[in-house]
Amino acid sequence: MENNNNQVTGELKSGNKKQVRLFYCMECEELARKVAAHSQLITLQSINWRSFDDGFPNLFINNAHDIRGQHVAFLASFSSPAVIFEQLSVIYNLPRLFVASFTLVLPFFPTGSFERMEEEGDVATAFTMARILSNIPISRGGPTSVVIYDIHALQERFYFGDHVLPLFETGIPLLKQRLHQLSDADKIVVAFPDDGAWKRFHKLLDHFPTVICTKVREGDKRIVQLKEGNPTGCHVVIVDDLVQSGGTLIECQKVLFDNGAAKVSAYVTHGVFPKRSWERFTQKNNRSEKGFAYFWITDSCPQTVKAVENTAPFEVLSLAGSIADALQI
Amino acid sequence: MAAISAQLASFKSFSSLLNDKKCSRFRCQIKSFENQHSNWSVEFFSGKESVHLIRNSSPSISMAASAAGSAVKPAKKVCLFYCSETEVLAKRIAAESDAIELRSINWRTFEDGFPNLFIPNAHGIRGQNVAFLASFSSPAVIFEQLSVIYALPKLFVSSFTLVLPFFPTGTSERMEDEGDVATAFTLARILSHIPTSRGGPTSLVTFDIHALQERFYFGDTILPCFESGIPLLKNRLQKLPDSDKISIAFPDDGAWKRFHKQLQHFPTIVCNKVRIGDQRIVRIKEGDATGRHVVIVDDLVQSGGTLIECQKVLAANGATKIIAYVTHGIFPKSSWQRFEHDNGGQPEKGLTYFWITDSCPHTVKEVKCKRPFEILSLSGSIAAALQ
Repeated sequence: MENNNNQVTGELKSGNKKQVRLFYCMECEELARKVAAHSQLITLQSINWRSFDDGFPNLFINNAHDIRGQHVAFLASFSSPAVIFEQLSVIYNLPRLFVASFTLVLPFFPTGSFERMEEEGDVATAFTMARILSNIPISRGGPTSVVIYDIHALQERFYFGDHVLPLFETGIPLLKQRLHQLSDADKIVVAFPDDGAWKRFHKLLDHFPTVICTKVREGDKRIVQLKEGNPTGCHVVIVDDLVQSGGTLIECQKVLFDNGAAKVSAYVTHGVFPKRSWERFTQKNNRSEKGFAYFWITDSCPQTVKAVENTAPFEVLSLAGSIADALQI
Repeated sequence: MAAISAQLASFKSFSSLLNDKKCSRFRCQIKSFENQHSNWSVEFFSGKESVHLIRNSSPSISMAASAAGSAVKPAKKVCLFYCSETEVLAKRIAAESDAIELRSINWRTFEDGFPNLFIPNAHGIRGQNVAFLASFSSPAVIFEQLSVIYALPKLFVSSFTLVLPFFPTGTSERMEDEGDVATAFTLARILSHIPTSRGGPTSLVTFDIHALQERFYFGDTILPCFESGIPLLKNRLQKLPDSDKISIAFPDDGAWKRFHKQLQHFPTIVCNKVRIGDQRIVRIKEGDATGRHVVIVDDLVQSGGTLIECQKVLAANGATKIIAYVTHGIFPKSSWQRFEHDNGGQPEKGLTYFWITDSCPHTVKEVKCKRPFEILSLSGSIAAALQ
């Protein structure tokens, strides 16, 4: 799980070095510490998160005067609707404390993954979320920057209004770096579970041979099939932005083994895994002796990281270095 | 009134049938042939001897009037959506007027806990006046309701009104230090960014907002409409016997500022908190409670501590009956349990009545059949505001 990000991203460019005061939500404390550990320019700040008896938040930003004229950032995690409001209260407040600039780091932008606006009447909650974030007050440094990793639907980038500057990052560099460390790095083939994943990621991974899967309807069922590419004898890494129940990944894995893959691993940026669905991937549950060799996720979803940290085949690739660099933008 | 007494007698015989059930409460319209514009209801709680006559607060939407065929100004037709917490109140509002029609929403969740929402028959609301009855009883329920609130105005409706009877988060905060995070400001900001519809900015209807300055938190893209529950209180007071003995008490200067103008025709008592050493003690600052039926009036109640101290001071100063009214019965952690009935006698032991509105649906569920609590419904007032 060691991650020498410096090798991949290079030295920080001289000039443009910003001292950044980093606030964070309770869920993100561990990631925040890692981010601060990456750079002396980033210092951690604290907030008192309490609630009143009626359940509404009772918040206090410590040392609010000290952040005047400073570059400030907030590391957020909207793992469930219940935690949004308290974090939003801080997010709406920080820019108004005479800070020099404000950046919101929201590694995982939720609510986009299931919805398709198919009918008038479908309520796109991703739009609601984007709207809420678009209304973050401006600070002295202008519009707030919002850093998001591997946003699920490419069109979601257009949901944000002009008063925020979305910065769309990706976890793929972390994957590439990890793959280079593998002993069978020359036998790696990247597989995309559907066309959506291919659209999102193929350009970043074009120096690997690729396999594309697709879902085909047979009667009532939808079956995953190989559309393009040849996995025979290779270590195939299935790449996607996120995982929910894991059904798609498991079906892909079967198809790949059926087509001769020697080993199958998976990478997703966001291990959402509602209701502990990650359990189906642990080695004791994965009945075939050919389970996943590796299952890489980033630390964008802190609740999952806590659950799978030392459990094979999971490995957490930390976004800390990438975030530390993004804060210098 | 004779006709009404006769009907009351028949209601009393109903009461023996209803007494078996845990709680019986019914509400009937009484149509008087003499006075077509009065609109009365009877509220009856089983286990109580008395039957209350309450005049509804919105006679302009009287169904008796339309039944008699007299000319009535055409009411604005409104499609009313609601969340699961507010379903009961929404039904009452729709019952107030033929012009208000209830609409449903499919409220489901995805596995990851995020809302999966669908507005059935969305085409059907094009060109209609639409309203949503919200309740932000806890932070967890805000996001799903907000998604609907942000979506409805964009469905080509002719106007959009958000009814949020209780505006939370203002009550315990004081911006004293730079660093205090005013969550009321956050909520006002979120609501100020409701998209505009064809009818222009959204109207926001809220009752007895806690801090008067919160009215200034809203931007120009939303039109706040600040209503009060006091008219319901005044209606209820008219039904009390010995109305000449009623005095209104305010537990602090804040309550006096908010409400004294609406209650000017009653003698008043103003309390305040005085610091003695480490303690803060409630005292009567102005007014006389001796021999009076005192009604303590405030916008909301949380733990109830302030009200209980007021009650004790008033009883000690000669009040013969004590009643409490708050618009919003928040009562976190079931704190309503500290309030007891006076059992017809002892003001220092309990209250004769504790009136709350139905702005906080979770509380209403818990207290609706429990003395001394009585619910005064905002439905008529909301129905009128929707016009």
